[in-house]
Amino acid sequence: MLPLSVKDDEYKPAKFNLLLKLSGWFRSILADKTSRNLFFFLCLNLSFAFVELSYGIWSNSLGLISDSFHMFFDCTALLAGLAASVISRWRSNDSFSYGYVRAEVLAGFVNGLFLIFTAFFIFSEGVERALEPPDVHHDRLLPVSVAGLLVNLVGIFVFQHGGHGHSHGEEGHGHSHSLFNGSVNHGHAHGGHEPESKHGGHGHSHDGHAGHGHSHDGHAGHGHSHDGNGGHGDSHSHDELRTPGKGASKQILQGVLLHIIADTLGSVGVIISALLMQKYDLMIADPICSMLISLLIGVSVVPLLRESIGILMQRTPPSLDQALPECYQRVQQLQGVYNLQDPHFWTLCTDVYIGTIKLLVAPDADRRWILSQTHNVFTQAGVRQLYVQIDTAAM
Amino acid sequence: MEDKYSSNVLSRGKLGMVEVPNSRLTRYIVLLVVTKVLKALGIFESYDILKVVHIVQFIFILKLGSAVVLLFFQKPFSSGKVISKRQWIKLLKHAVFSCVISLLGFFGLTLCGPLRTLLLFEHSDVVVIALLGVLFTSSGGGPSKTRGAALFIIAVICLLLFDNDDLMAKMAEHPEGHHDSALTHFLYTAIAFLGVADHKGGVVLLVASLLLKVGFHTASRKLSVEIGGAKRLYALDNLVSAIVLLPWVVVLSLTTDSKVESWSSLILPFGMIILSVTILEFYVEAICNTKMETPRCARYGAIALFLSALLLANFWTHPLTDQLRSMSKPPQQVSTEHVLSGGVIVSAIFFIMSSSILSSPSKKGQKGTLVGYSPEGTPLYNFMGDALQHTSQSLPRFIKDSLKQILEEYDSRQIFYFLCLNLAFTFVELFYGVWTNSLGLISDGFHMLFDCSALVLGLFAALMSRWKATRIFSYGYGRVEILSGFINGLFLMVIAFFVFVESVSRVLDPPNINTDMLTPVSVGGLLVNLVGICAFSHAHAHAHGGKTCPSNDHGHSHHGHSHSEHGHSHGGHGHGGHGHGGHGPPPGSAGGGMNANMRGVFLHVLADTLGSVGVIISTILIRQFGWLIADPICSLFIATLIFLSVIPLLKDACEVLLLRIPPEIEKELNSALEKVEKIEGVLSYRDPHFWRHSANIMAGTIHLQIMAGVVEQRIVQQVTAILKDAGVNNLSVQVEKEAYFQHMSGLSTGFQEVLAMTQQMESMKYLNDGTCIM
Repeated sequence: MLPLSVKDDEYKPAKFNLLLKLSGWFRSILADKTSRNLFFFLCLNLSFAFVELSYGIWSNSLGLISDSFHMFFDCTALLAGLAASVISRWRSNDSFSYGYVRAEVLAGFVNGLFLIFTAFFIFSEGVERALEPPDVHHDRLLPVSVAGLLVNLVGIFVFQHGGHGHSHGEEGHGHSHSLFNGSVNHGHAHGGHEPESKHGGHGHSHDGHAGHGHSHDGHAGHGHSHDGNGGHGDSHSHDELRTPGKGASKQILQGVLLHIIADTLGSVGVIISALLMQKYDLMIADPICSMLISLLIGVSVVPLLRESIGILMQRTPPSLDQALPECYQRVQQLQGVYNLQDPHFWTLCTDVYIGTIKLLVAPDADRRWILSQTHNVFTQAGVRQLYVQIDTAAM
Repeated sequence: MEDKYSSNVLSRGKLGMVEVPNSRLTRYIVLLVVTKVLKALGIFESYDILKVVHIVQFIFILKLGSAVVLLFFQKPFSSGKVISKRQWIKLLKHAVFSCVISLLGFFGLTLCGPLRTLLLFEHSDVVVIALLGVLFTSSGGGPSKTRGAALFIIAVICLLLFDNDDLMAKMAEHPEGHHDSALTHFLYTAIAFLGVADHKGGVVLLVASLLLKVGFHTASRKLSVEIGGAKRLYALDNLVSAIVLLPWVVVLSLTTDSKVESWSSLILPFGMIILSVTILEFYVEAICNTKMETPRCARYGAIALFLSALLLANFWTHPLTDQLRSMSKPPQQVSTEHVLSGGVIVSAIFFIMSSSILSSPSKKGQKGTLVGYSPEGTPLYNFMGDALQHTSQSLPRFIKDSLKQILEEYDSRQIFYFLCLNLAFTFVELFYGVWTNSLGLISDGFHMLFDCSALVLGLFAALMSRWKATRIFSYGYGRVEILSGFINGLFLMVIAFFVFVESVSRVLDPPNINTDMLTPVSVGGLLVNLVGICAFSHAHAHAHGGKTCPSNDHGHSHHGHSHSEHGHSHGGHGHGGHGHGGHGPPPGSAGGGMNANMRGVFLHVLADTLGSVGVIISTILIRQFGWLIADPICSLFIATLIFLSVIPLLKDACEVLLLRIPPEIEKELNSALEKVEKIEGVLSYRDPHFWRHSANIMAGTIHLQIMAGVVEQRIVQQVTAILKDAGVNNLSVQVEKEAYFQHMSGLSTGFQEVLAMTQQMESMKYLNDGTCIM
């Protein structure tokens, strides 16, 4: 009988101190490596946009101003990623009983959508321009796009390197521990290192990254499963705190990285077409470049979008697709189990799977044994949270 | 029959076609593609040559050249059995026919240009036979073949009607220059007799000769067996037709004066044409037909040929290629090149699609997977799974079914009608724009078309949300509605952002707008969108009315919408009222996650309406007072309005997607949970998760700890009943007795948790009899 209402009373008074909140946010941003990277890169991007804007206003060049607004729009992707990485670490409360971990999936989805929009706009513009190539002033184009390219290259380097060092080196582990110690304040993070669940998480992470080509993400998933165990030991009644601090950012990182790569490709395209236009006077190079780039962006976003839509629609996790029928069979073969009904399995966030099933059992069956065996079976398959409702068959 | 038995049971391949691994076939496919590209090149080259060389001479040289090469390779006289006299006569007939067909084909080439000739004339026999089968027999081979035939016919019609080739029209005015001989004159008069323009006559001619060619190929099959192989026949045929054509060529070259300056410069192109068009293609196709199935070969070949023809047509007249060809090309450059028009591209795409459909093997007898043999020895098939889904579906029936589904429900019906209205308006605008040649109208029409995508998305989501739950999507597809609402909202936000940026830059530098065309169009758009607002706000109120919620906001918004005079202020106001209702804490917010899809569509329409209103107002202001700044300010205002109105929708959708406890039943849930705790025998509960999956599915999971001696089934039923009253209709309850934790401690649940739980239970002075079990 946990007094649930007491918590509400505690939370309400601490609402007003904006400064405290801001500093808290700031600290939590800096605490995690992913969000720190995101934050610094956002700052870099914003400052670049501001410099561009002020220079544009000063020199009264409309092109620069509009480009800087475009940069601001690009920053929204980073902002979304940053917000998601902060939000996803919020504790769960009464309303959001699973916590806010899904924010990261949502952020990936939003980023992907934005990219699709952008690609579409660029494509339509490219078609328009291919039909009647306008006179592009390429005198100021080159320096701006080179600068943008540099900024974006820094971004790519940081994020790829970040994901990399994270997953492989010892640093990643030490870091994640410190994260948990810092933000959750529980000493016994090691308590929950059970080999079985670690194994499940690991096995899954190999399946999970198959669709992507980001081999590092898969390893990040491994690192994450450690985290999950670490976090899992620290709460008494809140299972959902197992949810990760680190590997969680897979979706965010993927979305942000895609966005930055798209931007980089855009700058490269502009540079190439500017060069072509200057040297050979091929006016059609610009629209063709932009169309190619938009196609590339569109194609590269599709996996991310498909995955995040699957998660948001409570799809059965693709990595469990193969394992589940076998599990059903094993459960149905348990003594006393008549039938298995309403199996629902879905992904909460990266690598955290939740399932509910209903079992129809014989009246004289040993329910406790069945329950624990069922949990056993599905835990081995990698399902973190399982709800088994056992109904007695009406005889 | 034989392939049925050779199909591997384990390989799950479809019956009827033995799937050869692709890697082995790759080189043949590459060879085929290369040959087809070369052939396209050769046809283009021969078009250029035909401008100078007479057609009969051309064909003679072609036949002679290939005959020489083939004689060298094939040696038809020294090998094989001796040909009798009767066979020689048959061969002569055959050769005459093939001469006539090549004459017709190349004459079509001079009329239509290389691209159109390739598109029309170079279809594989398989495709044409399948087409004729669909058209003239009752059992065409299912709806997919019918679709292919329809595509083929559409493509031909496209070439006939929508291919406005200016240069051809120009040539048709003075065709006298081309009348070199009696033959061409005869053909010209025949075409003129048909009463169509010149190049259209060419299209008809090519189609006729295509049919002839296919018939000819089918008829010559018997002869090729008699003679001893198709290759031998081909070689002999080339030789005989060259001999047949010889007298004519002699007469021609004596009577007419040639336009060719030097024959020697033509040797190279002729050699290339002979090699690529006749010899290489013949051999490669023969090889591929033996290695792969004929339909597959035909498909790859057709696609490669058409694509390369399209590319070549684009680049053939490019100055860059002119430089490349300058050494081999006859020195003439009249500006009579056939342009690449939209109709040709469309028809090329249709041709590619139709040939790939028509050449796909017919599906009879291969739907199932062979699973084994019955004791009697008859094969057993498994018709489950993929095979059933891949059957081709009749297109009209599909349309009928989906229309029926759309019209079944109120929401999708509304969206559909409005979509139709919108599309009609768009097309009227587009046509009018094309007619009056106004670029502004056309671009506005495309913008409208783009807006329709939101409607299409909404419609699709409304349809999809009614799909049944599958094994993969175990909760059903209801969430599509929320996702679609979310996407629409995001979309609107992006648009608002861009409008905002644009108008900021316009405030700094107001451009000069010509206002004459704007008003009627925007008034029309406004009217259409007002209709939409009426329809959707009605649907809105309707949806809310279904839920029993005593809220004043809805009545208000409904009332507000039913006025339809001043759309602008009222629209914003009405919606603002609703948005307020949406996230206020009282239970009046039943519409919070109700139908995000409809809300998204509604907001989109609202934004469009606001846009039209803004345009009208700013037009009036600019006209009356000359305030050029009115336009950007209006759009600034509108962008802000859109932005603000989207936020509630986004917030609600986000909450649903983040698995929040549905705000409208939060209170009931809390009281229900209190009730659950008071059930006799329940110690406590943990992990109560409740979330809204879609409009009508509220899912929930809960763990219950109960005393040892209580019947679990009773508790589960009670809890389910209580929570069902609170609105949770997809619940699973996990009942745990104390002993459960002893089990779980060996598995994955944390030890601390169990410890805490047992401590808690001990402190409550309950019997712990769990120790005796296991």
